[in-house]
Formats: sequence, structure tokens, C-alpha cells
Amino acid sequence: MKRVRRILVTLALMIIIAAIAYGVISSRGVAKGGAENKVVVVSPHPIEFMKPLTSEFEAQTGITVEVIRCGTSEAVSRIQDGEKIDVLWGGSILSVGSYEDLFLPYTTENENSFYAEYKSAGKALTCFTDVPSILMVNTDLLGDITINGYEDLLNPALAGKIAYASPEKSSSSFEHLTNMLYAMGGGDPEKGWDYVEKFAHNLSGRLLDSSQEVYQGVASGKFVVGLTFEEAAITMLKGGKHVKVIYMNEGVVSTPDGIYINKNASNTDGARAFVDFMTAYNTQFYIATDLGRRSVREDVESSSLVASKEDITILQVDKDKVIGSRSDWISRFMGYMGGGWK
Amino acid sequence: MSKDIKSFQDNIRRTFILFSLTPVIAIVFTAIFLFIFTWSAYMAQTTRDDSRSIAGEVDQVLETYYEMLGDVEFVVSTADIDVDRVTDRIFSILYSKTSDFDDIGNLIIMSQERKALFTSKSSVPEYLTGKEYDNWGIWNRIKEKPNTTVTVLYSGNLYVARGVFRGDDLKYAIIYAVPYQVLADIINNRNRYCIITDNSGWVYLNNTQGLTDEFGQINGILEGNTGYARIGGQKYICYETSVLKGLKVYTFSDINRSTRMILILVAIVAIIFFAIIFITYRSTATSSEVYTRDVKKIEDAFEAVQQGNLDVSLNIDSSKEFQTIGNDFNEMLDGLKKQIDQNRELAQNAAFSQVKQLESQFNPHFLFNTLDNIRFMAKIDAAAADKMIVSLSGLLRYSIRETREEVTVAEDLLHLQFYLNILQIRFNKRFAYNINVSEDIDDCLIPKLILQPLLENAVKYGFGEKEKLTVNINGYQHQERLIFICEDDGVGIDEDVLEELKASIQDPDTAPAHFGLYNIHQRIRLMYNGDYGLDITSKKGEGTTVRLTLPKRIAPGNAG
Repeated sequence: MKRVRRILVTLALMIIIAAIAYGVISSRGVAKGGAENKVVVVSPHPIEFMKPLTSEFEAQTGITVEVIRCGTSEAVSRIQDGEKIDVLWGGSILSVGSYEDLFLPYTTENENSFYAEYKSAGKALTCFTDVPSILMVNTDLLGDITINGYEDLLNPALAGKIAYASPEKSSSSFEHLTNMLYAMGGGDPEKGWDYVEKFAHNLSGRLLDSSQEVYQGVASGKFVVGLTFEEAAITMLKGGKHVKVIYMNEGVVSTPDGIYINKNASNTDGARAFVDFMTAYNTQFYIATDLGRRSVREDVESSSLVASKEDITILQVDKDKVIGSRSDWISRFMGYMGGGWK
Repeated sequence: MSKDIKSFQDNIRRTFILFSLTPVIAIVFTAIFLFIFTWSAYMAQTTRDDSRSIAGEVDQVLETYYEMLGDVEFVVSTADIDVDRVTDRIFSILYSKTSDFDDIGNLIIMSQERKALFTSKSSVPEYLTGKEYDNWGIWNRIKEKPNTTVTVLYSGNLYVARGVFRGDDLKYAIIYAVPYQVLADIINNRNRYCIITDNSGWVYLNNTQGLTDEFGQINGILEGNTGYARIGGQKYICYETSVLKGLKVYTFSDINRSTRMILILVAIVAIIFFAIIFITYRSTATSSEVYTRDVKKIEDAFEAVQQGNLDVSLNIDSSKEFQTIGNDFNEMLDGLKKQIDQNRELAQNAAFSQVKQLESQFNPHFLFNTLDNIRFMAKIDAAAADKMIVSLSGLLRYSIRETREEVTVAEDLLHLQFYLNILQIRFNKRFAYNINVSEDIDDCLIPKLILQPLLENAVKYGFGEKEKLTVNINGYQHQERLIFICEDDGVGIDEDVLEELKASIQDPDTAPAHFGLYNIHQRIRLMYNGDYGLDITSKKGEGTTVRLTLPKRIAPGNAG
């Protein structure tokens, strides 16, 4: 028996050696690990928005950009989990503001050219673009329903046809929640909850996981109307989708999204260069002209694609109050959605 | 170290497996290993060669366009940027340089205000004219490197561009949109996955799927990576070559199918070998049994001999060696049997001669007493003396002359009469006897002079202080035995003497040399196998009984 076992062992050994040798041979020269100078960016922006910007950044600076796409809150938790991330690109100041201590204080040289209201958002917060919340409507599916603002979303005909992402996961959704509370509460968020309760009811339990699902859902006809942000709708428009932008007649909260350097970034120089590039005149000019976002710079005009701010009812919010109430508001909203939300 | 000793069959079996299978398996796996090694080396080699040759061709094409831009710059500059004057010359350069390709492409000359001075295809992309592109995209690349021709990938199109500066001021720019088909043909002509990117990894040409990310950039794993790469479970051998003019060429060998084939091959071979091992293990059990059957025969034969059966023989005709062993064994066994027979004969002879010796022994005391009596009788009764002499001589003659070992009961009784006569004369009226032997055993054979010692014994121990002694001899047949009983009414034998006698009968060593009863017993034991012999009982004052048991045997001539 012993000899037979020795034969089997020899056989097994040979197979293992062959497998190892094969592995060694076939893995020769694997993974030198990409470029040396690399910035890891986590971002909820649409791909079509990021593509020309990262492309130009790479061409100008020679720094490679690696983009991880995910919702704002996931991006924050990834940073909290200590993932190797240099920059969070996107996410509104209101949402990310409550996590300011995760980020590296940095003031870009371009801040001098910013509008005053975008100048001192916070030590570690740099405003990137101004993103008004809007309603995006699929013009093919709308029919004779009229939508001019939040009030119209309570139309029973729209029950279950409203695309809205969880404000916990998407910063643009939280933006809308804030917008609703201020707009429907007549300036007092506490008074807006009556509306939010009815609105939550009209969602019929459908809550999406990311802002991307909202605008793509409307563009692809899964939903009639979506609560999203201006630039997403503009991108869809430019892409030939049959959609329409509606600025809520009850008022629009327009808060900037930001660009934030991870406190534990491994490539802080690359991250600073990224922030500088994104807030530079040429970039902001290009964004405002071609990508449908409003610049935070005084010296850059808005695109013809977006309504001028004079035509929109702009609502001012108490930034500190919003940042402070974020988790309360989210859990209260989730309570209206029903289910076991905490 | 205690180790089980394996059977010959098991050893043969294992040896067969070890020395026949293992080398085959080793060779096959070495072959597979070498195959994999050379195969992967070959794949890497061809991937690298293709990458380099594609890069070479791309470089050559770009070189043509670079030269063209230089030529155009010369023409435009000499015309002092009055492009309209030299349109024909520009077209002539364009046609001559692009004659190898199907498409003349779009050659654009832009002023520093982003106005088109010349286009070969009457179209200008917006990212050359738009205000927001003044410091963006292609214009940026042109302005970064004054008076240098650059290759720019923008929005999926490849451009060769050159900004012409006077001092620090851009005067005009020559931009040539490379027709897509020109480079696409290079990679499509090859049966090889290939991706051409700019230096940042943005993909220009791609004839495969799954190796670029959602941005249209080459997968980060592949960037700057040469060798083996695994992307989303797919395995590739890749090779990257940089074209000096700002492009990178990646070639890939999709090794998924091949690696799967190799794995399947190895698995099948392994399964086959395991099956072979299993089958061999089973089949060698029978075949080794066949081959070692002779050994088993030999083993059985030896076992039988050990059990005492000498009538076995080894008949082996399967192989010469074992046949020799078998024949030798048979010979040896025959010899052994002969030897045993001889020994038995020798033993019989020895017993026979011992019997002869025993039966020829007469108690010298008897002779002495008898002769003494004869001398005495000769003085007082000559007739009695004469009768004694006649009886003694008859007795001696019978004892010496009679060569047969066995005689009939009748004969022996007849000659016993001589002895009785002597005793009668010697003791006169003090001695009486009765012979009572059934006539039907007259013809049965018994050892010669077997009854005489019984009488001698009775006389020896019987008289004691007694005046008169009577001896009865009875003989009869009981079942297949002859029984002779000699009883006397003598004084009997002392108990300790009796014990001694009994012991002497059983044990020849302690017996006195001329002890009659012992002689009888010994002779019977030697002549007949079985439960035969002599038994003695005695009671003090009542007499002694000696019982003799013999097999019933009829004399050959008197049967019936």
C-alpha cells in the first residue's frame, strides 16, 4: 500500500509543480502597476461630464486619473474606510459639509475669482460648480399632465412614476429634500414636512439608489419625472433625449457641489493640481459652455443651455442648519417612506 | 522496525505499477509541462513581435503626415500666410503624401483667431473654432509646444497638429485629421487583438471588447504593463510598444480558450492516469495471481508436506525455472518417501531381531534347577530322570530349532507339555495343573513359547510356604482376540513387589534382563500393533492371575 501511496503522492506533486511552474511562467512580468503619478478620484458625476475634463487634465499635467464612480455617500464611506482615494469630486457642499474633517484643508489660487458666496465654503471644501435642483420630465410620456413645481408632483397620475433617489445615498436627492422643505415650508423647513409626507406617499415606495438612476430612468422612460440636478438634464438634452428641464416655481435651491481632497491622500500634490485644474478659468469656461453647468467663477458666463438665474426663483438656505439637520431630515423622510427605516 | 512481509504476488504487482506506470506518467507530464512552457513563450514572442511591427507601421504613417505638415508650413510661410495664393500647392502636397492611402483626410489651417484659412474637406470641428476651446484640447496641445508637430487624440479623432509661432505669438496652426481607416487598416490586417491609445491611455483604435473602461480609456491594469494580465476573469498576454509620436500600441493574445484547453487536457490526462492506475491496480491483482500461481502451488505443496501428506506432486509447465523447482521437489519428495520406508523397515528388522533375542532366552535358573533335579533323579529314579532329559531336550529343541516366530496354539501347547512334565517330576504331587483351551482356537497363531513364562511365573511366586500349588490355564476366543488366563491358588504376590512388576512390564529400562513376563509383554508389543499385551492381578493368600491378550490370527495354511 505504501508504494502505491508514494506513486500517488509523486503524481500529485508533479501536477502541483506543473501548475506552479505554469503559474510562474504565465505571470512573468505582471503588473508593474500602471502610471507612477496617479490621482485616484471618486465621483458621482456622469461619465460624459468627466471624460473631457479628465482627458484634458491628463494631457496638460501628465498625471493619470483613475476614476471610481459611485454615489456621494458611498464615496464618503469609502474614504472613511481608508480606501486609497485622493479626491472626492462632486457631492454638494450641503451633503459633504458634515464630513469636513475627513478632508484636507486647501484653498485653491482660483478662489479669488469665485463669486463671493462660493468663496469660503469651508477650509477643506472647494466649490466646483453651481448645481440647481430641477425637475426633469420625459416629454414623450408627460401627456397632458402639467408639471411646474413640487405641488404638481402630488398628482395621483404620477404615483410611482416619480424618479427619486434615496437622500441618504445621493447628494442631489438630499438637495431636493432640502429644497422641498424650504420651498413648501415658505422658508421654514419645519413647515415643509406636510408636503414631504404626501410626496413620499406619491413615490409609492420606489426609491432609487443613485442620482444616475434618476436621470437615466427618466431619459429611458422608466419614469415620467425625476428630481435631479440641472447638469444631468442638460447632458441628457445634449444627448438627444426627449427631456425637459423644469425649474420649480415654488423656488429653486441652488447649492454648489464641491471638490474635496482626502485628508489621507497619498498623492496630495496631484490632488491639489486636480483641484486647481478643475477651478481654473479655461476649465470652468469649458464646463459652463459645453457641459451645462454653472461656473462658480465670476469671470465665466453661463451657457445658453441653462436659464439665467434672474428667471429662476432662487431660495436661500441656512447652510449650517442644513448640514446640522442632515441625518435627522433623512431619517424623518425615510420614516415617511415606511418600512423599517431608522 | 516491524514491517509486514508482503506476499510475492503483492510485490510483483507493486513492482509492475511502480516501474511501468510511473515513468510513463512522469514523461507525459513533463511533455505537457514543456508544451505549456514553449506555448506560452511562443505566445509572448508573437504578441511582442506584432506589437512592435504595428508600432513601426503606425510610426511610418505618422512620419509621412509629419513631413507633410512641414512641407505645408514651408509653403504657407513663404506665401506670408496668404493661404489662398498657395491652395493648389497645398493640395498638391496633400495628394502626394496621402497617395498611399485611400483618403486625403482633412487638412485644416487655422489662424490664431481660430478662423479656418484652409480646409481640404470644407468642414472644421467645433472644438477648433469654439471660443471655449481657445485654451482647451487641441489648441492647448499646439500652444504647449511651439513650432513642434504633435499628435493629438481628441474626442475620438486623431490629429497631427503644428502651431507656427513667430517669437511667442502663434501665427497660424496646421491641423491634419488622420483618416480613421488609415491606422484601422493596419490593425485590422492582423489577426490580433490590438489597441492604439494616446500616452494617457485614451483609446483611439480598438478591435476588441472588454479591455477598455467605461470612459474609453484602456483598462488601468494594462497601462504600462507587459506580460500576463487578468481582466474580469479573462486572461491575456499583452505587450505595449510606445510610438515616439505620442501613441502607444498594445497587442493582446487572448489565452482564455488556450488555458482552458490546457487545463482540460491536463485534467483529462490526469483522469486517464488515475483510471489507468485504478484499472492496473485491479487487473494486476488477477494477472499477478496468474503469474505467481506456480509460487502458490509450491507454497501449497510445502504446506501439505508439513501437514504430513507426502503424496503430493508439483506439476508446473508454465515456466522453465518453476518447472525445475517442481521436478526437483518431486524428486526430493520421492527420495524422502524411500528414506522413510527404509527407516520403517530398519525399525521392523530391529524389532524382529529383538523379538528373536527375547524368545530365545530361557531362565538359567530353570536350566540349573532342572539339571540339578535330573542329577538327583538319576540316582533314585532312572526312568523319571530319563523322562526329564527327554522333556528338557524337547523343550530346548523347540526353543532353538523352531525358526518360525509364530506357531499355532496347538503346537505351542504340545511343546508346553515338556515343560509341564519337568515341573510335574520336579514337584511331584505338590504341583497340579489344568489346561483348558477351546479347540476352536487350536489353529490360531501365537508367538512361540508365549505360555511357558506364565507357568514359570506362577511357580516362582505361587509356592511360597504352600504345600501344594494348582495352576489353571484357560484359553478362549473373545471377539477378535485370543485370551489366555493363567491363574494359580498360590500365596499371591506382595503388593510392593506387584507394583514393581507392573512397572517393569511397562518400562523396559527397569526390567531385569531375564524377566519372563516382561519378555512376553515386549514381544507382543513388538509383533502386534494395538491394545495387546499382558495384565497381572494378585491377591495375598488367594493367588495370582495373569491375563494375556492377543490378536486372533489364523495360520495361512489352516484357514477355514
